[in-house]
Amino acid sequence: MKPTAHPRFGKGVKLRHDGDGSVMLLIPEGALVLNAPAAAALELVDGTRPLAEIIATVAERFDVSAGRAGEDILDLFERLEQRGLVQ
Amino acid sequence: MSAVPRPLSLLCELTYRCNLQCPYCYNPLDLRSYRDELTTEQWSGVLRQAADLGVVQAHFSGGEPTLRPDLVALVQAAAACGLYTNLITQGTFLDDVLLDRLVDGGLDHVQISIQAPQTALADRIAGATVHDKKLEALRRVLTRDVALTLNCVLHRLNHDSIEEIINFAQRLEIRRLELANVQFYGWAYRNRTALMPTLEQVRHGEQVVAAARERLRSAMEIVYVLPDYFGDFPKPCMNGWGRQFVTVTPNGYALPCPAAAGITTLAFENVRDRSLGEIWRESASFVRYRGTDWMPDPCRSCERRELDWGGCRCQAYLVTGDAGVTDPACSLSPDHASIVALRDAVSGAEPVYRRA
Ligand SMILES: C[S@@+](CC[C@H](N)C(=O)[O-])C[C@H]1O[C@@H](n2cnc3c(N)ncnc32)[C@H](O)[C@@H]1O
Ligand code: SF4
Ligand code: SF4
Repeated sequence: MKPTAHPRFGKGVKLRHDGDGSVMLLIPEGALVLNAPAAAALELVDGTRPLAEIIATVAERFDVSAGRAGEDILDLFERLEQRGLVQ
Repeated sequence: MSAVPRPLSLLCELTYRCNLQCPYCYNPLDLRSYRDELTTEQWSGVLRQAADLGVVQAHFSGGEPTLRPDLVALVQAAAACGLYTNLITQGTFLDDVLLDRLVDGGLDHVQISIQAPQTALADRIAGATVHDKKLEALRRVLTRDVALTLNCVLHRLNHDSIEEIINFAQRLEIRRLELANVQFYGWAYRNRTALMPTLEQVRHGEQVVAAARERLRSAMEIVYVLPDYFGDFPKPCMNGWGRQFVTVTPNGYALPCPAAAGITTLAFENVRDRSLGEIWRESASFVRYRGTDWMPDPCRSCERRELDWGGCRCQAYLVTGDAGVTDPACSLSPDHASIVALRDAVSGAEPVYRRA
């Protein structure tokens, strides 16, 4: 997935927030527990926001370099795209 | 004993009634004992209690769940509790009206099963003329705002068609395909000699799936559920007994695994008598094999014990008569020869069709 892509969730994919602050991605037949940066990135997925902007926002919020955050988040989106969970 | 884990998934087996007769069905043989089904109110209560326990997903299955007239109401009830909702169906009743009502009611995902990609073979396995109807249902679901998985249970009678199943899914532009090697419980256990795939079929199947994954990449996710009797180690059944999954049978028994009712040495408890939370936390039927404390050798000292949790309790019971031993599907089990014997006991006998 390229930084210029506008990711959106596939059908049957949704975020769930629990009272204790934990966030999961609910998918057909399962649930992925997300760490805080991954949760923050996926909360920004709306089909219009470019991936580059998502990465920049998360990098700023978690006070890490855009390069480092970019790698982790690109990797996350690649894996989700591979499974058809994000397009 | 460490803290009681949080269940994540509730399987609602709404009814064991079904208009098909698949000989591979894992439903129990004594289908008639399950006729006293929970009411809509009772199921709604189960869903609410499950959500309070931390469950995030509700699966509606059976039998054929679309035979319950209150299915839409139950999907709505689950969605109102914040649960992700999944319908597991063979699709023969999934017409436009029902599908629209389900999607409007908050259904997130549908899994439709076929018996084979070819109409004649599929209808022969199902024991009814239904394949073309399922095809209509699949097409219908693809046009709606709901996720779809196509499921096909693999066994000796259709294993050679794996490639055709994948092509069938590809023609329909299905994004998620589950090829599940038959697991031997219920009717499938009864029919095991007729359904057992051959070693060549299993090995060939693995190659076909690997090649298709390479070719299709993100266009289709193929889930390939490994056959149980052919590996060195058992499956991590239910990710551990009483750890993440709870099943409720049509007549209200809470089980750690859908096949567990077959274990007659455990006393299962009913949601009509006790809350789901109490049963989950305290019932001996859930506590007995939770975690690793119950394990005998070779599991007790094995480094894989928190990877596969000693395998499947139901299989241990079915094959050895003792639910508390290492799954005989494990090559380290002293009972492994029994599994090898079952795997090699292939007969040309016609399977017995499921009936009440
Ligand atoms: C028992 S069925 C009930 C739902 C519906 N009647 C159907 O067949 O799709 C639940 C799911 O398990 C699959 N299944 C049935 N028997 C099985 C077995 N012995 N091993 C593995 N999967 C099985 C079905 O294909 C279906 O996807
Ligand atoms: S597996 Fe076949 S017989 Fe069993 S419930 Fe599903 S459709 Fe009916
Ligand atoms: S001995 Fe037990 S824990 Fe070890 S691999 Fe076999 S079943 Fe799993």
